[in-house]
Amino acid sequence: MICRTEVCKDRKARIKQITNHPYFGFFIITFLMLIVQLLRAAGVPVSNTLVRAFGITMIYIIVALGFSILLGYAGLASLGTAGFVGIGTYILGYFTKNLEASVFIVILVSIVGAIVIGLIVGFISLRIEGMYLAIITLGLSEILNEVFKNAVSITNGTNGLGLDSQLILFKNLIFIDHNTIFIVTAIIMFFMMILTLNLIKSPTGRALLAMRNSTSAAQAMGVSILKYRLMAFIVSTVYAMLGGVIYMSYISFSIPTTWSLAFSLNILAAVIVGGSQSIYGIVLGTFMIFGLNLGVFQQFDFFKNNPAISVMFNGLLIILVIMFYPGGLIRLVTTTYYKLKKALAKLKTKWREYRYGSDN
Amino acid sequence: MFDTTGFWKDIFIFILVLVVVYTLLKIFVLKYFKNKDRAKSIGLNIALVIGIVYLFFRIFKVIDDNFPDFSTMFMMTNIVNQALQVSVLALATTGIVLIFKTSATTNFAQGMIATFGAFVAAKLIQYFTLNYTDLTVTNMVFLAMIGGAITAFLFGIFVDAVIIRNSKDKTPIGKQMITMGLVLVLAGAMPLIFGKILLPIPKMSYEPNIAFKLFGIDLFITVHAYYALIITVVLLVVLFSMLRFTKWGLGVRATASNELVAGMMGVNTKIITSMSWAIAGLLGAVAAVMLTPNATNVTVALMTPTQVNAFMAAILGSFSSFLGPLVATVLIPVLTGLLSLIVPLWQNAVVYLFILAIVLVKPMGLFGKKIAKKV
Repeated sequence: MICRTEVCKDRKARIKQITNHPYFGFFIITFLMLIVQLLRAAGVPVSNTLVRAFGITMIYIIVALGFSILLGYAGLASLGTAGFVGIGTYILGYFTKNLEASVFIVILVSIVGAIVIGLIVGFISLRIEGMYLAIITLGLSEILNEVFKNAVSITNGTNGLGLDSQLILFKNLIFIDHNTIFIVTAIIMFFMMILTLNLIKSPTGRALLAMRNSTSAAQAMGVSILKYRLMAFIVSTVYAMLGGVIYMSYISFSIPTTWSLAFSLNILAAVIVGGSQSIYGIVLGTFMIFGLNLGVFQQFDFFKNNPAISVMFNGLLIILVIMFYPGGLIRLVTTTYYKLKKALAKLKTKWREYRYGSDN
Repeated sequence: MFDTTGFWKDIFIFILVLVVVYTLLKIFVLKYFKNKDRAKSIGLNIALVIGIVYLFFRIFKVIDDNFPDFSTMFMMTNIVNQALQVSVLALATTGIVLIFKTSATTNFAQGMIATFGAFVAAKLIQYFTLNYTDLTVTNMVFLAMIGGAITAFLFGIFVDAVIIRNSKDKTPIGKQMITMGLVLVLAGAMPLIFGKILLPIPKMSYEPNIAFKLFGIDLFITVHAYYALIITVVLLVVLFSMLRFTKWGLGVRATASNELVAGMMGVNTKIITSMSWAIAGLLGAVAAVMLTPNATNVTVALMTPTQVNAFMAAILGSFSSFLGPLVATVLIPVLTGLLSLIVPLWQNAVVYLFILAIVLVKPMGLFGKKIAKKV
């Protein structure tokens, strides 16, 4: 096992270079998410609900990533996420069903729409701050929910808008099965993670962080509050709407009751539980809030018959995390990791002392 | 249902005129004032009041066009019908504002704690109807309401003393997140605790409606709404006099202005905050018990719309005062009720849009004072 030759050392260095690359972790996460689908392709009987749980978790990870830029980096608490995701779903539903537009046009339209909405909310956020902003965005989300309920000609009202799981790529109707969309979602999630990482490690991310800590200090250092607030809102809204578009193409059904306050609270909870400033934390938090319930609890009849218990578990998790680990679960994970590493190193030295004798 | 041609056009033109006049005044007249900020805020207030009055006037005109003979009666009836909504909303909003003042956080669990109280009250009513058949409906609901209120009172103390006080993250957002977690916990726990049986709460009274005259118009109010209004007024008067004249009220006001300094001056801020959580729970539970007959049964989502409206009222009237939100709690249901005649189904969205617009013009709410920021 011990490496002595040059070739071996070179190989080890190269492996280390790959594993230390910042994108490697994202790749592993994407791969883990894809395992369910791969197992199914290999012939292992994986239940539909499990695959669906992973798919939904991935979509919510995308939404939560956008939200973390807003909350963790810009320090703006918004409760409008549900409304924005809802708009994304209805844009895809309406454009595909009634206008027979291509998916690419839908994505373009949703991004333009997201920019417009992000601009509006961003301008609101310039005047209103803190708790007030959370409530105002909540009001905005409620308005959107009323629109979803009452604009029957576009959203089909409270009955919900269903797609026949067909998407239009170019001109002709093309049926895409859910397995393909699952894989596409995983790839999009991978690229969204990379985008988020690059965004928060760039000068933009540092400007956002400066703004979060103190707006006055940030302004004194030459950070334009107007520019970066608007940008944070636009980015977050684009993520949310994209999440909505993918949700609609994967689930093929959208109903106003999904896009209520509870959804925004759950996304907020996912970001807070995991750790709002770490991408891995967000993945962990989203998995704890959504994935664990959908993927694990729903497999047991006990939880299936009592859906209230998993809701209670989510709530307890949020309260406990904030009470005892305000930095999020990811901090718990990293601290235990370093503690273990330290303990291992100590053990190793002890073993060496035992094996070869101590230095003195 | 109504012929509303020209309504939105008129409103839009009026708002435009208001904005243009305000801008012109700001450019040409404002410089002659000594205290510019004060003049500006007074001008804004006048503009907002004119706008709201015009809105009501225009709604009245629409009703008048459709029912020329009964227009005043129609409008007054519609306003009086909102009495129950107003009283429920007033209690819920006061609870939220009280907690915001002492704990500097928005309590998302207010509605859920209230629903918990309503569940207990409904269970009590079930018990009373089985064991004490000689109780009248009014007494029964009243006793149950007291029971539910006491439960919510204790629950409020529990939330503050056990959960929030021991939390490591004591920032406003952290506390807010705890209340959000509490929403989920209670939403999950309540069906488990109280079972899946439907739990109704009857109206406080089924006597015939009370007739009264206002400005020479015959109006009716249900006895239930009448009692609800009385209970609300009594509770709020007691609460406000407590805030004004007792040591606890002084402590609340001191804590609201600065918790740290209040603590150093010898105010027991822990008891003050616990008591405000408890009283907020009590007010919420009373509101929930009064609201339940509208939906016949207690459900988990009973108070959610009220909760959202209460936040809106608090933000419209400003969190920094107690009376401002009360004005907003009257304004919101009345406006919603009237707009439901003109834009059926869209009334909530339109009211929220109005609130959004007002808050954009005055970020601290209708009655809020601008707080100078220190760096």
